[in-house]
Amino acid sequence: MKRIAVTVALAACALSAAAQQPPAGQNPRDVVPDKMPFDVPYGAPVSLDRAQAAINAAVAESKKRGWKMNVAVVDSGANLVAFARMDGAQLGSIAIAEHKARAAAKFRRETKLFESGIQEGNLHYLLTLDDVIASRGGILIIDNGQIAGAVGCSGGTGSQDEVVCKAAIEAVTKR
Amino acid sequence: MKQRPMLTLEDCKKISAAAEAEARRNNWNVCIAILDDGGHLLHLARMDGATPANARIATEKGRTAAETRRSTANWQERVAKRTELLRMPGVTPVQGGLPIVVDGTCVGGVGISGVQSHEDEQIAAAGIKALG
Repeated sequence: MKRIAVTVALAACALSAAAQQPPAGQNPRDVVPDKMPFDVPYGAPVSLDRAQAAINAAVAESKKRGWKMNVAVVDSGANLVAFARMDGAQLGSIAIAEHKARAAAKFRRETKLFESGIQEGNLHYLLTLDDVIASRGGILIIDNGQIAGAVGCSGGTGSQDEVVCKAAIEAVTKR
Repeated sequence: MKQRPMLTLEDCKKISAAAEAEARRNNWNVCIAILDDGGHLLHLARMDGATPANARIATEKGRTAAETRRSTANWQERVAKRTELLRMPGVTPVQGGLPIVVDGTCVGGVGISGVQSHEDEQIAAAGIKALG
Protein backbone atom coordinates (compact mmCIF):
# COMPACT_ATOMS: atom_id res chain seq x y z
CA MET A 1 0.00 0.00 0.00
CA LYS A 2 2.81 2.29 0.97
CA ARG A 3 4.61 1.39 -2.21
CA ILE A 4 1.62 2.29 -4.30
CA ALA A 5 1.35 5.62 -2.51
CA VAL A 6 4.96 6.41 -3.35
CA THR A 7 4.48 5.45 -6.98
CA VAL A 8 1.51 7.74 -7.22
CA ALA A 9 3.46 10.53 -5.53
CA LEU A 10 6.29 10.12 -8.03
CA ALA A 11 3.88 10.25 -10.93
CA ALA A 12 2.26 13.34 -9.44
CA CYS A 13 5.64 15.05 -9.13
CA ALA A 14 6.48 14.19 -12.71
CA LEU A 15 3.28 15.79 -13.84
CA SER A 16 3.39 18.75 -11.46
CA ALA A 17 5.08 20.99 -13.99
CA ALA A 18 2.42 20.13 -16.52
CA ALA A 19 -0.36 20.72 -13.97
CA GLN A 20 0.79 24.26 -13.31
CA GLN A 21 0.31 25.46 -16.85
CA PRO A 22 2.28 28.61 -17.59
CA PRO A 23 0.57 31.41 -19.49
CA ALA A 24 0.80 31.07 -23.26
CA GLY A 25 4.22 31.98 -24.56
CA GLN A 26 5.95 31.44 -21.22
CA ASN A 27 8.73 28.85 -20.89
CA PRO A 28 7.23 25.88 -18.97
CA ARG A 29 10.56 25.41 -17.17
CA ASP A 30 10.13 28.86 -15.60
CA VAL A 31 7.30 27.49 -13.42
CA VAL A 32 8.39 27.20 -9.77
CA PRO A 33 6.61 24.25 -8.07
CA ASP A 34 5.93 24.52 -4.33
CA LYS A 35 7.17 21.05 -3.48
CA MET A 36 10.46 19.25 -4.00
CA PRO A 37 10.17 16.69 -6.77
CA PHE A 38 11.01 13.03 -6.07
CA ASP A 39 11.44 13.76 -2.37
CA VAL A 40 11.98 10.14 -1.29
CA PRO A 41 14.37 9.80 1.67
CA TYR A 42 17.47 7.64 1.45
CA GLY A 43 17.11 4.73 3.91
CA ALA A 44 19.10 1.75 5.13
CA PRO A 45 21.07 -0.06 2.41
CA VAL A 46 19.75 -3.25 0.83
CA SER A 47 21.41 -6.44 2.16
CA LEU A 48 23.47 -8.77 -0.04
CA ASP A 49 20.88 -11.52 0.44
CA ARG A 50 18.11 -9.35 -0.94
CA ALA A 51 20.30 -8.01 -3.72
CA GLN A 52 21.05 -11.58 -4.79
CA ALA A 53 17.36 -12.50 -4.54
CA ALA A 54 16.64 -9.62 -6.93
CA ILE A 55 19.28 -10.86 -9.34
CA ASN A 56 18.03 -14.44 -9.15
CA ALA A 57 14.50 -13.26 -9.99
CA ALA A 58 15.78 -11.22 -12.93
CA VAL A 59 17.83 -14.15 -14.23
CA ALA A 60 14.84 -16.51 -13.86
CA GLU A 61 12.59 -14.12 -15.80
CA SER A 62 15.21 -13.74 -18.54
CA LYS A 63 15.73 -17.49 -18.80
CA LYS A 64 11.99 -18.05 -19.08
CA ARG A 65 11.95 -15.74 -22.09
CA GLY A 66 15.24 -16.91 -23.58
CA TRP A 67 16.94 -13.53 -22.97
CA LYS A 68 20.51 -12.79 -21.86
CA MET A 69 20.87 -9.97 -19.37
CA ASN A 70 23.29 -8.12 -17.17
CA VAL A 71 21.77 -7.29 -13.77
CA ALA A 72 23.20 -4.89 -11.19
CA VAL A 73 22.01 -3.93 -7.73
CA VAL A 74 23.24 -0.83 -5.90
CA ASP A 75 22.54 0.22 -2.31
CA SER A 76 21.01 3.48 -1.09
CA GLY A 77 24.42 5.13 -1.54
CA ALA A 78 24.33 4.16 -5.24
CA ASN A 79 27.30 1.82 -4.74
CA LEU A 80 27.41 -1.63 -6.33
CA VAL A 81 26.29 -4.48 -4.04
CA ALA A 82 25.78 -7.36 -6.47
CA PHE A 83 26.11 -8.06 -10.17
CA ALA A 84 25.58 -10.98 -12.53
CA ARG A 85 26.12 -11.44 -16.25
CA MET A 86 24.15 -14.26 -17.82
CA ASP A 87 25.88 -16.61 -20.26
CA GLY A 88 26.22 -14.90 -23.61
CA ALA A 89 24.96 -11.46 -22.45
CA GLN A 90 26.58 -8.55 -24.27
CA LEU A 91 29.65 -6.90 -22.76
CA GLY A 92 28.48 -3.35 -23.40
CA SER A 93 25.63 -3.88 -20.99
CA ILE A 94 27.85 -4.52 -17.96
CA ALA A 95 28.42 -0.81 -17.49
CA ILE A 96 24.90 0.11 -18.62
CA ALA A 97 23.22 -2.17 -16.05
CA GLU A 98 25.24 -0.62 -13.24
CA HIS A 99 24.69 2.87 -14.63
CA LYS A 100 20.91 2.41 -14.71
CA ALA A 101 20.84 1.21 -11.10
CA ARG A 102 23.17 4.00 -9.98
CA ALA A 103 21.20 6.71 -11.80
CA ALA A 104 17.90 5.49 -10.33
CA ALA A 105 19.38 5.73 -6.81
CA LYS A 106 21.18 9.03 -7.39
CA PHE A 107 18.14 10.77 -8.87
CA ARG A 108 15.54 8.92 -6.76
CA ARG A 109 13.46 7.94 -9.79
CA GLU A 110 13.11 5.35 -12.51
CA THR A 111 15.49 5.85 -15.43
CA LYS A 112 12.44 5.56 -17.68
CA LEU A 113 11.51 9.10 -16.63
CA PHE A 114 14.70 10.40 -18.22
CA GLU A 115 13.95 8.48 -21.38
CA SER A 116 10.40 9.81 -21.66
CA GLY A 117 11.48 13.29 -20.57
CA ILE A 118 13.89 13.48 -23.48
CA GLN A 119 11.85 11.59 -26.06
CA GLU A 120 8.29 12.73 -25.37
CA GLY A 121 8.88 15.79 -23.19
CA ASN A 122 11.61 17.32 -25.38
CA LEU A 123 13.58 18.03 -22.19
CA HIS A 124 16.94 17.76 -23.94
CA TYR A 125 18.73 19.50 -21.07
CA LEU A 126 18.34 16.26 -19.08
CA LEU A 127 21.20 14.86 -21.17
CA THR A 128 23.55 17.48 -19.73
CA LEU A 129 22.97 16.44 -16.09
CA ASP A 130 25.74 14.45 -14.44
CA ASP A 131 25.54 10.65 -14.64
CA VAL A 132 22.09 10.51 -16.24
CA ILE A 133 21.18 7.50 -18.36
CA ALA A 134 18.07 8.01 -20.45
CA SER A 135 16.98 4.41 -20.90
CA ARG A 136 14.36 2.40 -19.03
CA GLY A 137 15.40 -0.58 -16.87
CA GLY A 138 16.63 1.16 -13.72
CA ILE A 139 14.14 1.00 -10.83
CA LEU A 140 14.31 1.84 -7.10
CA ILE A 141 13.95 -0.68 -4.27
CA ILE A 142 11.73 1.12 -1.74
CA ASP A 143 11.33 -0.01 1.88
CA ASN A 144 8.59 1.74 3.87
CA GLY A 145 8.77 4.81 1.70
CA GLN A 146 12.58 5.01 1.83
CA ILE A 147 15.19 4.17 -0.79
CA ALA A 148 17.06 0.93 0.01
CA GLY A 149 18.74 0.61 -3.37
CA ALA A 150 18.05 0.11 -7.04
CA VAL A 151 18.17 -2.54 -9.74
CA GLY A 152 19.51 -1.98 -13.25
CA CYS A 153 19.09 -4.36 -16.17
CA SER A 154 20.62 -4.22 -19.62
CA GLY A 155 21.17 -6.57 -22.53
CA GLY A 156 18.06 -6.37 -24.68
CA THR A 157 15.77 -3.59 -25.85
CA GLY A 158 14.82 -1.05 -23.20
CA SER A 159 11.41 -2.67 -22.97
CA GLN A 160 12.95 -6.14 -22.41
CA ASP A 161 15.31 -4.70 -19.80
CA GLU A 162 12.37 -3.13 -17.99
CA VAL A 163 10.36 -6.38 -17.86
CA VAL A 164 13.29 -8.18 -16.25
CA CYS A 165 13.98 -5.28 -13.90
CA LYS A 166 10.36 -5.25 -12.73
CA ALA A 167 10.52 -8.99 -11.98
CA ALA A 168 13.56 -8.30 -9.78
CA ILE A 169 11.83 -5.45 -7.94
CA GLU A 170 8.66 -7.49 -7.50
CA ALA A 171 10.65 -10.32 -5.88
CA VAL A 172 12.27 -8.15 -3.20
CA THR A 173 9.56 -5.60 -2.41
CA LYS A 174 8.41 -5.98 1.21
CA ARG A 175 4.65 -6.02 1.75
CA MET B 1 39.54 -24.27 -34.71
CA LYS B 2 40.89 -23.93 -31.19
CA GLN B 3 38.31 -24.41 -28.43
CA ARG B 4 38.57 -22.75 -25.05
CA PRO B 5 36.73 -23.22 -21.76
CA MET B 6 34.51 -20.40 -20.56
CA LEU B 7 33.02 -19.53 -17.15
CA THR B 8 29.23 -19.80 -16.92
CA LEU B 9 27.00 -17.92 -14.48
CA GLU B 10 26.57 -21.21 -12.57
CA ASP B 11 30.36 -21.50 -12.23
CA CYS B 12 30.48 -17.93 -10.92
CA LYS B 13 27.78 -18.62 -8.36
CA LYS B 14 29.75 -21.64 -7.11
CA ILE B 15 32.96 -19.63 -6.80
CA SER B 16 31.21 -16.71 -5.13
CA ALA B 17 29.29 -18.89 -2.66
CA ALA B 18 32.42 -20.80 -1.62
CA ALA B 19 34.38 -17.58 -1.21
CA GLU B 20 31.56 -16.05 0.83
CA ALA B 21 31.43 -19.17 3.04
CA GLU B 22 35.17 -18.93 3.67
CA ALA B 23 34.80 -15.26 4.62
CA ARG B 24 31.81 -15.94 6.87
CA ARG B 25 33.67 -18.79 8.60
CA ASN B 26 36.27 -16.22 9.64
CA ASN B 27 33.79 -13.43 10.40
CA TRP B 28 35.13 -11.33 7.54
CA ASN B 29 33.08 -8.93 5.42
CA VAL B 30 34.50 -8.71 1.94
CA CYS B 31 33.61 -8.08 -1.67
CA ILE B 32 34.01 -10.92 -4.19
CA ALA B 33 34.44 -10.06 -7.87
CA ILE B 34 34.72 -12.54 -10.74
CA LEU B 35 35.83 -11.46 -14.21
CA ASP B 36 36.20 -13.27 -17.52
CA ASP B 37 39.46 -13.73 -19.44
CA GLY B 38 38.89 -10.38 -21.16
CA GLY B 39 38.75 -8.60 -17.81
CA HIS B 40 34.98 -8.02 -18.02
CA LEU B 41 32.86 -8.33 -14.88
CA LEU B 42 30.83 -11.55 -14.62
CA HIS B 43 29.70 -11.63 -11.02
CA LEU B 44 30.03 -9.45 -7.93
CA ALA B 45 28.87 -9.82 -4.34
CA ARG B 46 29.58 -7.25 -1.64
CA MET B 47 28.84 -8.71 1.78
CA ASP B 48 26.96 -6.58 4.32
CA GLY B 49 29.50 -4.40 6.07
CA ALA B 50 32.01 -4.35 3.20
CA THR B 51 32.64 -0.86 1.84
CA PRO B 52 32.06 0.71 -1.58
CA ALA B 53 35.85 0.86 -1.94
CA ASN B 54 36.01 -2.91 -1.44
CA ALA B 55 33.80 -3.39 -4.53
CA ARG B 56 36.08 -1.24 -6.67
CA ILE B 57 39.30 -2.76 -5.36
CA ALA B 58 38.08 -6.38 -5.62
CA THR B 59 37.09 -5.77 -9.24
CA GLU B 60 40.48 -4.25 -10.08
CA LYS B 61 42.41 -7.07 -8.38
CA GLY B 62 40.34 -9.64 -10.28
CA ARG B 63 40.83 -7.76 -13.54
CA THR B 64 44.59 -7.64 -13.06
CA ALA B 65 44.73 -11.39 -12.39
CA ALA B 66 42.44 -12.21 -15.34
CA GLU B 67 44.17 -9.99 -17.89
CA THR B 68 47.76 -10.72 -16.90
CA ARG B 69 47.17 -14.43 -16.14
CA ARG B 70 49.03 -14.18 -12.85
CA SER B 71 48.23 -13.47 -9.21
CA THR B 72 48.25 -9.92 -7.91
CA ALA B 73 50.59 -11.22 -5.15
CA ASN B 74 53.08 -11.97 -7.91
CA TRP B 75 52.72 -8.38 -9.12
CA GLN B 76 53.17 -7.14 -5.56
CA GLU B 77 56.45 -9.07 -5.20
CA ARG B 78 57.76 -7.85 -8.52
CA VAL B 79 56.80 -4.25 -7.84
CA ALA B 80 58.71 -4.42 -4.55
CA LYS B 81 61.87 -5.21 -6.52
CA ARG B 82 61.16 -3.11 -9.59
CA THR B 83 59.29 0.07 -8.68
CA GLU B 84 58.93 1.04 -12.35
CA LEU B 85 56.32 -1.73 -12.67
CA LEU B 86 53.93 0.57 -10.81
CA ARG B 87 53.53 2.34 -14.15
CA MET B 88 52.13 -0.79 -15.81
CA PRO B 89 48.71 0.27 -17.15
CA GLY B 90 45.68 -1.34 -15.55
CA VAL B 91 47.61 -3.27 -12.94
CA THR B 92 46.60 -3.35 -9.26
CA PRO B 93 49.64 -4.93 -7.60
CA VAL B 94 48.07 -5.88 -4.27
CA GLN B 95 47.61 -9.47 -3.09
CA GLY B 96 44.03 -10.79 -3.21
CA GLY B 97 43.54 -11.45 -6.92
CA LEU B 98 44.01 -14.89 -8.48
CA PRO B 99 43.68 -16.11 -12.06
CA ILE B 100 41.22 -18.97 -12.65
CA VAL B 101 43.10 -21.60 -14.62
CA VAL B 102 41.26 -24.54 -16.19
CA ASP B 103 43.21 -27.17 -18.14
CA GLY B 104 46.14 -24.79 -18.45
CA THR B 105 43.97 -21.96 -19.79
CA CYS B 106 43.17 -18.80 -17.87
CA VAL B 107 39.39 -18.37 -18.01
CA GLY B 108 39.17 -15.35 -15.74
CA GLY B 109 40.09 -13.99 -12.35
CA VAL B 110 38.78 -13.61 -8.81
CA GLY B 111 39.43 -10.49 -6.76
CA ILE B 112 38.74 -10.09 -3.06
CA SER B 113 38.93 -6.96 -0.91
CA GLY B 114 37.93 -6.37 2.69
CA VAL B 115 40.48 -7.90 5.02
CA GLN B 116 44.27 -8.27 5.07
CA SER B 117 45.74 -8.98 1.65
CA HIS B 118 46.86 -12.53 2.44
CA GLU B 119 43.40 -13.23 3.87
CA ASP B 120 41.80 -11.81 0.73
CA GLU B 121 43.86 -14.28 -1.29
CA GLN B 122 42.86 -17.14 1.02
CA ILE B 123 39.21 -16.35 0.24
CA ALA B 124 39.89 -16.16 -3.51
CA ALA B 125 41.62 -19.55 -3.41
CA ALA B 126 38.70 -21.11 -1.51
CA GLY B 127 36.36 -19.78 -4.18
CA ILE B 128 38.35 -21.17 -7.09
CA LYS B 129 38.73 -24.52 -5.33
CA ALA B 130 34.94 -24.95 -5.50
CA LEU B 131 35.17 -25.19 -9.28
CA GLY B 132 36.69 -28.64 -8.78
